Order: sequence, then C-alpha cells, then structure tokens
Amino acid sequence: MRVLVVEDEATLRDSLKERLAAAGFTVDVARDGNEGLFAGLEYPLDVAIVDLGLPNLPGLEVIRRLRAARKTFPILILTARDNWQDKVEGLQAGADDYVAKPFHFEEVLARLQALLRRAGGWASPQLTCGSVSLDTRAQSVQVGGAPVELTTFEYRILEHLMLRAGDVISKTELTERLYDQDFERDSNVIEVLVGRLRRKLDPRDELHPIETLRGRGYRFALPRDSGS
Amino acid sequence: MHSLSRRLLLSVSAPLALFFGVMMVVLDTGFRALSERTLRELLDSQMVSLIAAAEPQPDGGYAPPPQVREQRLSTPHSGLYAQIRSQQHQWRSPSTAGLAADFGPLLVPGERTITYAAFDHDRVAVESRAIQFADDPTGARAFTFSVAVSLSPYEEQLWRYRQRLVGWFIGLMLVLLVTLAALLHWMLRPVRRLEREIHEVEEGRRENLGAGYPRELAGVATHLNALLIGERKRVARYRDTLGNLAHSLKTPLAVMRSSLPGEARGSTVSAEIDRMSGIIEHQLKRAAASGGALLGQAPVDVAQVAAELRGALLKVYANKDLSLELAVGPGTQFVGDRGDLMELLGNILDNACKWCRSRVRLTAGSDESADPRERLSLVMEDDGPGISEADRARVLGRGVRADQNVPGHGLGLAMVHDTVDLYGGRLSIDTSPLGGARVTVRLPGR
Repeated sequence: MRVLVVEDEATLRDSLKERLAAAGFTVDVARDGNEGLFAGLEYPLDVAIVDLGLPNLPGLEVIRRLRAARKTFPILILTARDNWQDKVEGLQAGADDYVAKPFHFEEVLARLQALLRRAGGWASPQLTCGSVSLDTRAQSVQVGGAPVELTTFEYRILEHLMLRAGDVISKTELTERLYDQDFERDSNVIEVLVGRLRRKLDPRDELHPIETLRGRGYRFALPRDSGS
Repeated sequence: MHSLSRRLLLSVSAPLALFFGVMMVVLDTGFRALSERTLRELLDSQMVSLIAAAEPQPDGGYAPPPQVREQRLSTPHSGLYAQIRSQQHQWRSPSTAGLAADFGPLLVPGERTITYAAFDHDRVAVESRAIQFADDPTGARAFTFSVAVSLSPYEEQLWRYRQRLVGWFIGLMLVLLVTLAALLHWMLRPVRRLEREIHEVEEGRRENLGAGYPRELAGVATHLNALLIGERKRVARYRDTLGNLAHSLKTPLAVMRSSLPGEARGSTVSAEIDRMSGIIEHQLKRAAASGGALLGQAPVDVAQVAAELRGALLKVYANKDLSLELAVGPGTQFVGDRGDLMELLGNILDNACKWCRSRVRLTAGSDESADPRERLSLVMEDDGPGISEADRARVLGRGVRADQNVPGHGLGLAMVHDTVDLYGGRLSIDTSPLGGARVTVRLPGR
C-alpha cells in the first residue's frame, strides 16, 4: 500500500514515515501543501494523510484540488484545531476521516487501514475470499484455517490483490506499491513474488487464487465472502 | 417624560398657553375700556338731550314734555331711564315704571358722578349732574338730572366677545400643536428608523445600520456600525488566536509523542502528554465558546448545522451500518454562535454515533411558550448501552473543577455542559425509548 504523508513538522513527518514503513506501507512524504498536491496528483497512491495547517497551500485546499482532479484515494486529515467546524469543512472538501493531534500512532494506523478496506469495498479488517483470509490488523494470512508465513513483500502484494479482489492489477501498479522510489524495477521481481505466493497459498495447485492475465496483470480470483 | 416628542410638545404648549392667556387678558381689557367709553359717550349725549328737552312745569318742577322725549324713556323696562329731582320735586321717566330704581342722592350744584347700581335685576350705569339756574343764586331750586343705561347689552357683547376670543385661541392653539406634532413626527422619523434598525441588529435580523441618515445622525450610525464590525472582528481574531495557540501547543505535543522510543509509549510521559492535550483542548474551547449571540449576528439555522454534521459523521462512521435520523422542525433557530452550536451538536452526535448499535436520532424544535433562554430544544438519542448513573453525575456535577474534568475520555459531554452553562440553558441525561442514552439540551432559540 502506498501512502502519502503531507506534514510540515519534520519530526512528526519522519516519525510517521518510519512507523508507517514498519507497518508495511510504502511511504511518500511532502513538506508543504504544494509538494503534497504535486505528489497527490503524480504518484499512484492508495491513501493520503494531510495535515490541515500547512505552509504555502492549506490542507483543505490540497484536498479540494485533489478531488477536483478526480483523485479518489481516501484521505485522512490530521488537525491540531480539534473543532467540528474544521472537521466538517475537511470532510466536505473531500477527506474521509480525521485524527486530532497529538495522536497515537496506533489510531492513525487503524484509521488508515479502515479507509483502505472501505475503498476496496471491505467492511471489516478481516478480508476473506474463499478459504483464504487475511487480517489487516495482525498482517496475518490463513488458508483453510491454517496460518501461512509470508515475507513483507509477499504480504503487501497479497493485501493489495485481496483488497481489490476481482479487479485486474497491473505489474507496474504492484511494483509502485512495493517501492517508494520511481526508478525502474525489474518486473521479474513481481513475477517471482507472485510465483512464491501461489506456492505458499496453494501448495497442491487446487485453489488457483491468483490469475495471470497476459499483458494486463494479475487478479485475485477467489470470490469475496459475502459476510465480510 | 421618556419621549422626546412629548417633552417638546409639553415644553412648547406651556409657553403657548401663557402667551395666549396674556393676550386674552390684554385684548379683554382693551375691549372693556372701549365699551366703557362708548357707554359714557352715550350717557353724556342722553344727559345733554335730557337737559335740553327739560322745561319748567306748572308745579315748579322740571321735566321733558312727552312730545320731545326720547322714545325709549316712555317705554317701560327699555333700558334707558331718567330722573330729574330737586328738594321739592321729582320726575321719573315712564320707563322706570314698576322698577325699584335708585338714582342716588341729590348732588351739590356743579357736581357730576357716574355710579353703578341695580334696578331690580337690571345692572345699570347712572350719570348724575346737578344744575343751578342763573336766577337762583342760593341754589335752593337746584335740580339733579340723572340718566341710567342698562348694562346688559354691553355685558352680553363682552360675554360674546370673550367667548369668541377663547374659541379662536383654543382653535389656534390646537392647530399649532397638531402642526407641531406632525413636524415632530416627520423630524424624528430618522430617529425612529435608527431605533428600529438597532432593534433588528439586536434580534440578528440585520448585520449593521443602513445608510442615508441625516447629517446629525449619520455620525452616530457610522460609529455604531464601526463598533459592531470592530466587536465582531475582535471576537473572530480572539478565536483565531486561540485556534493558533491550540495548534502551536499541540503540534509540539504530537512531536513529543512521536519521538518517544517504542518502549516508553505506555509510560508516564505518554499519559502526561494525553493529560496536557486534554487540558489545552478543554480550556481553549471553553475560552473560545462565546456564550451568547454577538450583536448583528443572525440566528443559526439548526437544520443546516445538523445536516452538515450528519454528512461528516456518516463519512467518519462509514464502517458502521448507521442510521442517523434528523427531525428538525422547520425554521428552528439557535440564538447564539454557530461555532458553539456546531461543537455542542458535534460532540453529542459523535458520542452517540460512537456508542450506538445502529440508530441515532436528533429531534430539534422551538418551544414558543418557554423562556427565551430555553426555547430551543435538542434531543439526541441512540440505541447504545446508555450512560451510567455515575457518568451522568460526573458530567452534570457542579463544583467539579474544569481541569479535573478533562474531556475526551469516553464522554465528550463536559464541553457540552460548559457551553450549555454559558448560554444559561439546561442539560439533562436519561434513557431513550431507543434503548440507549437520551441527552436533552435547552438553549436560547427562536
């Protein structure tokens, strides 16, 4: 999952970057409103955290312009002025949730994950497709009730595919979600990771959870559980 | 004496009445002097004709013969009477017939008097003159000639004159006062407009005073407007400063928290950061809550604020299968600051959304019969677990110091309580028919 953090306070920004990365996110950072707007318009993001009190371009305006440019990824507001007027304005401008400063990181993380689930059409933190189930809070995966050990990259790819189960996701998109830099990556890496994932999830080659669509990308093929 | 026009009318009508009174006395005196002179002239001419017409009589008396006599002297009760009298003789005109007429005493020759008397009920002026003949050096045969004229025609004339005078003066005074009142009405029209506009500003139906006042009032209107705008700006700046203060205090706190090493995150430092942030939040919000409508501030449309909050809350609680019903009576208005209402409703509704299973209901309406400070009624209900007796007491408890009563730990209602207190409203908590908490707030409304 690729997240953008727009925060002018360096310590806070660095801390968020470090801990979000530790939680399995690919993190882009911006120091002010203009940088944030640029990153929001140019990078393939899954979610953004925007501080309302930003230099140069206010957070509200960043959000408005991103929405005007038809960017649909969820946005979480950080606000130090914890009043309803600001929250309502932020949410009306197009944000999806807010967290008041000084926040607990765990809360920010929980909100981010909830927003991502919502964006993928999931209601609970437990994503279940057929016999494969993934817990976004614990970052754990089970197949038929038995835990499966995944590496960080494998988990990220699976989470991304499952959050948008049924959609076709290109190799480029997956690559971008894994690395926070723009430079070219060998797409073979993705092929290798997906191959390893298939073996781990489906050792007997019965489920076929991940389809390959030649020239287009991958799709998580198992049906979503109606209860989740 | 609280009305300018009444003061002016009274202060004008008193001198006016005095002026008219004095005028009346002067005119009356003049008229009476004139009629008295006319009367004397009449008496004189009657006297002269009487003396000229009188002839010696066979019995030694004196009398005017009937054929040369003034007609009125022969008509009884005509109003003109005469008498010619000496020590031995007396002649009275036939007009005195049947009257108790007393023309006064005999006079010494050369003497002349004018007196007033009453012949029965008829008031008369009597002129008497004593005449001594040339062939009577002792004056033994001296005659006193008297002529009496009834005063009633004159008195009647005077009475009529006075009546007319009073009538005219009263009429004139009324016309003057009515004209003056009309003038005042016209002159004070801008003052009344000023009064009306200030009232409208008080009621929040207009933001400031209009233009186009006469020169004498334009200054007042301009200064009042400046005051209104200045006050609004001052409050806005004050709140802005408080907001900035909150921002600049809380960002370092957020930095502090984020710089704590992993193992210290549940430590005392972290707890103290929570406490500080709670206090900043609470105290600054208390300071920013205005607790009243600013002059010229329009009443707040409750439905609009509620709808905005509903949109925001549905977004925030999108994970929850939430039904947030709004039942706001049409035209329900809150007389106070929009931000205050937003905080209050936001906190209560947020709480309700947090704790409910699926239903939250806001009912708002205005109660015309209630005290103006409690006219707006807001009822928030949910189907959650409700608020325990202990928590109700904690929220509603008086005498709890604000900094001990740090909000944000489960109940955002302490802030709500403060706001309601500031507005002199009422807050109560009980159980809703939906099963959860019911928070009822009464605030100034319309």
